Amino acid sequence: MIDFIIRLLDRWFKLREPHRNFLSRALPEKLNPAYCLGGMAFTAFLLSAATGLLLSIYYVPSGKEAYQSIVMLHNRIWLGWLVQSVHKWSANLLIVFTLLHAARVFIHKAYRPPRELNWMAGALGFVLIMVSGFTGYLLPWDQRAYWATVVGTGMAGKTPGAGGFLVRLLRGGPEVGSATLLRFYSLHTLWVPFMLLMIFWAHFHMVKRQGISGGM
Amino acid sequence: MIGNGKKSLYPDYLPYVAAALLLAVEAILAMALLFPPSIGPAIDLASPYQPRPEWYFLWLYQLLRYFPGRSAVLGTVLIPLLFILVFIFMPYIDRGKNGRKIAVLAGSALFAVVAALTLMAVFFT
Repeated sequence: MIDFIIRLLDRWFKLREPHRNFLSRALPEKLNPAYCLGGMAFTAFLLSAATGLLLSIYYVPSGKEAYQSIVMLHNRIWLGWLVQSVHKWSANLLIVFTLLHAARVFIHKAYRPPRELNWMAGALGFVLIMVSGFTGYLLPWDQRAYWATVVGTGMAGKTPGAGGFLVRLLRGGPEVGSATLLRFYSLHTLWVPFMLLMIFWAHFHMVKRQGISGGM
Repeated sequence: MIGNGKKSLYPDYLPYVAAALLLAVEAILAMALLFPPSIGPAIDLASPYQPRPEWYFLWLYQLLRYFPGRSAVLGTVLIPLLFILVFIFMPYIDRGKNGRKIAVLAGSALFAVVAALTLMAVFFT
């Protein structure tokens, strides 16, 4: 089955020749399922991206309409609830898989040179995923989302010297409001995904060029 | 490093990778079908309350409780920043003769603190 698909893809795209190192790259002999955790995390990311694209068709990022658009998505749009549910759960499992993947890499000492930059790329990606979780939490625009963001953005206000500035920067004003919602929507759907994709590209490129560490 | 092994991604490992990725999709679908999110009540500015964050921010939520008043900057900014920096710069903590030991110590301490704070938030807060 996989054989058939690969041959078909190769006949169309002729990828095997220019990307020799991808499919036929030499790998250590004893790899265990824990080496799949990074790929599982990426799979979760792809699902969250796909469902996010679908959600963006109905979601209205404005203080007046966001809540109503979510209610409609949930109750009136066919399978809307499921798309939203997969978006939420793929995000949660993305964090679980990423943490387990990091633990696997750490235990195998695979962050050591020449892979130190790749560890840092991955760690930065994880921070971005957390940012995505924080900004996405506001978007349903319900009680829980609103007050969680009031508390979360308020934390930046404790920064010495720049507190007031940081809070206004995060909220787009002195209070959490429509400007905050639009800002978080932009971060959640444009800025963070774009930065994540660039990090993923670098991450995978380094994996491909450096090969997989032989383990312990 | 390329060429250090005797097996290759295809045909040796790809079927297993495919199975693992399928498992990830199934796990997500199963959770999504079993536990769909609910929509909370609409925003009511007149009734503020202290909401619990998602599970991955619970450690931070718990941490804030230990730094009231003027020490708040420790819990909101400095300690989280320290955690992030230790995590990101782990390859540079593991340097020199005792590098691995220090890295393991730092890594397990980080894990233990975050796990303990999360558990405390889950059970006691």
